[in-house]
Amino acid sequence: MLDAFSRAATAADASGSFIGGTQIATLKTFVAEGNKRLDAVKAISTSASCIVTDSVAGMICENPGLTSPGGNCYSNRRMAACLRDGEIVLRYVAYALLAGDSSVLQDRCLNGLKETYAALGVPTGSMARAVAIMKACAVAHINGTNGDRGPQATNNTINLGTTAKGDCSALASEAASYFDVVSTSIS
Amino acid sequence: MKSTITTVIAAADNAARFPSASDLESVRGSLERAAARMEAAEKLAANYDAVAQEAVDAVYKVNPQGNLGRQPRVCDTEGKDKCKRDFVHYLRLINYALVTGGTGPLDELAINGAKEVYAALSIDAATYVYGLNTLRNRGCAPRDMSAQALAEYNAALDYVANSLG
Repeated sequence: MLDAFSRAATAADASGSFIGGTQIATLKTFVAEGNKRLDAVKAISTSASCIVTDSVAGMICENPGLTSPGGNCYSNRRMAACLRDGEIVLRYVAYALLAGDSSVLQDRCLNGLKETYAALGVPTGSMARAVAIMKACAVAHINGTNGDRGPQATNNTINLGTTAKGDCSALASEAASYFDVVSTSIS
Repeated sequence: MKSTITTVIAAADNAARFPSASDLESVRGSLERAAARMEAAEKLAANYDAVAQEAVDAVYKVNPQGNLGRQPRVCDTEGKDKCKRDFVHYLRLINYALVTGGTGPLDELAINGAKEVYAALSIDAATYVYGLNTLRNRGCAPRDMSAQALAEYNAALDYVANSLG
């Protein structure tokens, strides 16, 4: 497992060079923007249950066959397994966002997941759809555009003037990229 | 490669939970100290050649033979070059350790097995300890870097010297 810092060290070690110049500048930005990152992770983590449930419910609304007899979410046991898997994916995305690197997501979650789903007969298209909804949901929570409920990285409901709202768009797109990694990996 | 963040994540993953408030607090603590470490790493990356040369000069001043060993290395260019290469190697790993905020890079790439290698090659590790201690006592704040950055840099030098000694 790597984070942004150990990723830089591993890359530099491969060529036997020191970490300096632009790499240090990138890491300094990471440090300076650290609190935003922690807020973003918190925004996802504290609303995890909501994000996961919404995405699985959305996936089923678009494709009601899933919960009908013969569907892959038919029976509470399979629906529960689906919700559990959604939570696992979101948890590893939260780890990746905290680390600033996708290696934890790749190594511990996605490695072999596609093959496992193929063996168990899980429809990966539906799973990818749930991940896409999760992505939209998580981005909204990080940007604070998810309405006026729940903890937010940038709270737009308190009127602090236009300058008070932090810009978390960089972190939102970083989080989105991790969801894309999941989609690509299982499709 | 271990760092504060990966350690926190590994612990959270073992318990299958999302990063908790206390997890985020410990990452925040690490990030707060990170600015000084980045400064030290940056300064070291810019000046490592001169720093390593200083260590080599100090070693050869007290011991014109260079490393003591079964076949004592003579005080020629080759011996000095190899001595400097080794110091640059340690400084590079210290640079990584400062960036990652842990001793992982040093442990994994230098310290594990160092004693066995030096014993097999009949190299006296005390030579390196002497050079590293010289560097330890040469750093000066605020001339070289800020006080907190120097503290982090000295701690890394101490760690290597203690592990080799």
